[in-house]
Amino acid sequence: MSNASNVLIEATGIVKRYGKFTALHGVDLRVAPRTVHSVIGPNGAGKTTLFHMLTGTVPVSGGRIVFDGHDVTTEADYRRVQRGIARSFQVTALFQNLSVRENLRLAALGVTPRRALSCWRKAEGPRACASVVDDVLTRLALTRHANTAAGALSHGQQRRLEVGMALAARPKAIFLDEPTSGMGIDDLDDMKQLIRGLRDDHTVVLIEHNMNIVMDISDTITVMQQGRVLVEGKPDAIRADDRVRAAYLGNMITGGRA
Amino acid sequence: MLVRYRFWLLAAAVTLILPVTLSSGTLATEVLVYALAVLGCNLLLGYTGLLSFGQGIFFGLGSYTLGIMLTRTALPMPIAIVASILLGAVIAAVVGSFAIRQKGTYFVMLTLACAQMFYFFAYTATDWTGGDNGLLDIPRKSLTLGGKTLIPLETPWQFYTFVAVVFLIVFAALLRVAESVFGRTLLAIRDNETRAAAIGYHVKTFKLVAFAISGAVTALAGALHALMTGIAPLSNIEYHTSEMILVMTVIGGTGNLFASVLGAAFYVLAADWLSTLWPRWLLLLGLLLIAVSLFMHRGLWGVGESLWYRITGKRSDGDANGKLDTQGDAT
Amino acid sequence: MNVYLLQVINGVGIGMLYFLLAVGLSIIFGLLRFVNFAHGAFYLLGAYFCYQALQWGLSFWLALIVCPIVVAALAWIAEKVLLSRIYEKAHEFHILVTVGLALVVQELVIIIWGPLGDNVAVPEVLDGVVMWGNFIYPKYRLFLIGFTAVFAAVLWWLLEGTRLGSAVRAGSESSEMVSLLGINVFRVFSLAFALGAGTAALAGVLAAPVRGVEPFMGIEALGIAFVVVVIGGMGSFAGALVGGLVIGIVQSLMSTIWPEGARLMIYVAMAAVLLMRPHGLLGRG
Repeated sequence: MSNASNVLIEATGIVKRYGKFTALHGVDLRVAPRTVHSVIGPNGAGKTTLFHMLTGTVPVSGGRIVFDGHDVTTEADYRRVQRGIARSFQVTALFQNLSVRENLRLAALGVTPRRALSCWRKAEGPRACASVVDDVLTRLALTRHANTAAGALSHGQQRRLEVGMALAARPKAIFLDEPTSGMGIDDLDDMKQLIRGLRDDHTVVLIEHNMNIVMDISDTITVMQQGRVLVEGKPDAIRADDRVRAAYLGNMITGGRA
Repeated sequence: MLVRYRFWLLAAAVTLILPVTLSSGTLATEVLVYALAVLGCNLLLGYTGLLSFGQGIFFGLGSYTLGIMLTRTALPMPIAIVASILLGAVIAAVVGSFAIRQKGTYFVMLTLACAQMFYFFAYTATDWTGGDNGLLDIPRKSLTLGGKTLIPLETPWQFYTFVAVVFLIVFAALLRVAESVFGRTLLAIRDNETRAAAIGYHVKTFKLVAFAISGAVTALAGALHALMTGIAPLSNIEYHTSEMILVMTVIGGTGNLFASVLGAAFYVLAADWLSTLWPRWLLLLGLLLIAVSLFMHRGLWGVGESLWYRITGKRSDGDANGKLDTQGDAT
Repeated sequence: MNVYLLQVINGVGIGMLYFLLAVGLSIIFGLLRFVNFAHGAFYLLGAYFCYQALQWGLSFWLALIVCPIVVAALAWIAEKVLLSRIYEKAHEFHILVTVGLALVVQELVIIIWGPLGDNVAVPEVLDGVVMWGNFIYPKYRLFLIGFTAVFAAVLWWLLEGTRLGSAVRAGSESSEMVSLLGINVFRVFSLAFALGAGTAALAGVLAAPVRGVEPFMGIEALGIAFVVVVIGGMGSFAGALVGGLVIGIVQSLMSTIWPEGARLMIYVAMAAVLLMRPHGLLGRG
């Protein structure tokens, strides 16, 4: 349980193989608490795979992951939620037929899942997690749509709810996988504000293609390519790095403030 | 208040209508017995999203357990029923733990293979099950205490009353389960299992509990069936039983628990009526199943609901795409 | 002759039949990603069409060729009329529609041929036994092994060596890619479905002289096909072969050691395999 104060997530030598194909060739990642740490890279770099490893969605083929001083390498995703890890998905994965409020309630209660095993008690009182849900609804600006089915929301609203699902768990570390994917200009600003607001209470690990947001928000950026870490550093350093430019074929990373 | 308890009141109405409209107490009992089995199946299908071809396992097991206990031991009937329920829950959890290692169609195939396994096991273990002949002469005695008759069970209609009370109690309990936080979580699992796991729920545990409850209720149905008929035949554990329970569930509708009662009533009464007209009436049932799967996803309940909305002029909630009905009553 | 050797050979014969049953199911699953619960019904139809053909005085050899083709054609129609509507729906629907179809077929069989079933005569030229020193064995069963082996080889060639086969195999990986390549995906689906059904029907024709025909043989066939596919691995040709042979031999040996438990052992074997290797012996994920 050493140096828990300056490293929240420590991943060493993460390897992932799918049959003969190696998606991650030994990735190291260190995320400091209360920072925004972005992971960028061209398609196929293994960013989402790395997320799967860190959040426990998919088991690793090799390597070690230490979260908040605990070795969580072999823990599945539902266990890591209780440690304080929550994520959003690149492809929207909401409970389409359930209301927004219910989606968030489930996410909020998921931190103490044993409460949900009661076959007798209803989803009221403590199991309604009302204060957390209302709080997240406000942050997402979705209070008006609380009783709408998640599947009926617009794409931008759904992407915000995706983030909300992670927020509702009040996690220590929140993993956002391309939160702005598919969003239009209007929604982008809202999302940017939302993500910005997260850093006060959470450690944020972010996969993004939108360089405006990445450069503007991040404390640290890790650049990946073909299953390996190419380079890691502060936004200015990354912006100026030739290797990164080459990896992206030049044109994507010169975004500035927005 | 009426609206809140509408499903239970509808079920109670059914238990009152049956004696008035049917002349056979056994037939009325059969409706309720299969309604219980369908409820068990619907908990898995409509709420957890698990299509199980193994419900016959638990139904047959319930029959056999009760039969063995009443023909070979001196234990009273209530104990035998409780034993059936417990065994049903345990075996369902075992079968479930095996089958839920896989998902989707693989899971369905496993339940069918398990059903076949139990069938051949029952066929082989003739000392326990009577093999092809089944267990015969299962007694049905009125419940007495110190020589006085507490609950008369001699005549079909007396037995029906007993079953109706049991049914209504179990139905109320299942409604409670469906509306509980557990039931809500099942719906989430059905909707998006990956997401449910990602937000912290151990999906396997929830599925297992659902299986156990389903098995318990289905075994109860099997036990009551054995009491009703006096036999525990091999056919109760056969593929056909599993298939028919599933058919009843789908035809009734998977959106709420009362739809299961509809499905069971429809099947039992149609079978009784049509089988005298045409022995091959199952052909029509097969066609109906195809029609329901293609066009009427919400089953008989959905049809009834649409008609009701049309008559009363209200708008209905649409069908969820591609899924076997939504829990249209999530509050 | 050593009784265990005899049973192993019997097992190979049965196993080849089981392979035929299962391979169609595996192909259909591999490509269409759904399990056809009417698969047993195609087997049933194959057997009964053969029975009817023989009743009409036609030769077994003619039935062997024609019956599977007729069943394949019927399956093609069923796919076009019923199944193509529901591909994009959840798997529960596929299963239920095919269950309904199986029920309809079964009832039609009972309506046409009665509920009791009957025997089917072995063709004359294959009647009797082969005697080779100590080795005495029914001719028909030898024919069964030989014929199915040849057919398996042809099927293998079809799947591995031809454009259709490549399309089927590619389609099982990604149907979008296949359609982008300009191949009519739906035609491939229909063909694959018909092929799967025809193979099941062929198994039915071949099985008929061995075990006769009866209306509920479809259900048992479905269960066995599932077990073979589960043991061998879903979507795997070799898996269907291995699974079929394993099951056939286990069943045959058991019928000597513990006859009543023979069919039960098939399912116990399945449970054992699954506990150790959840994706089957040769299955991919």
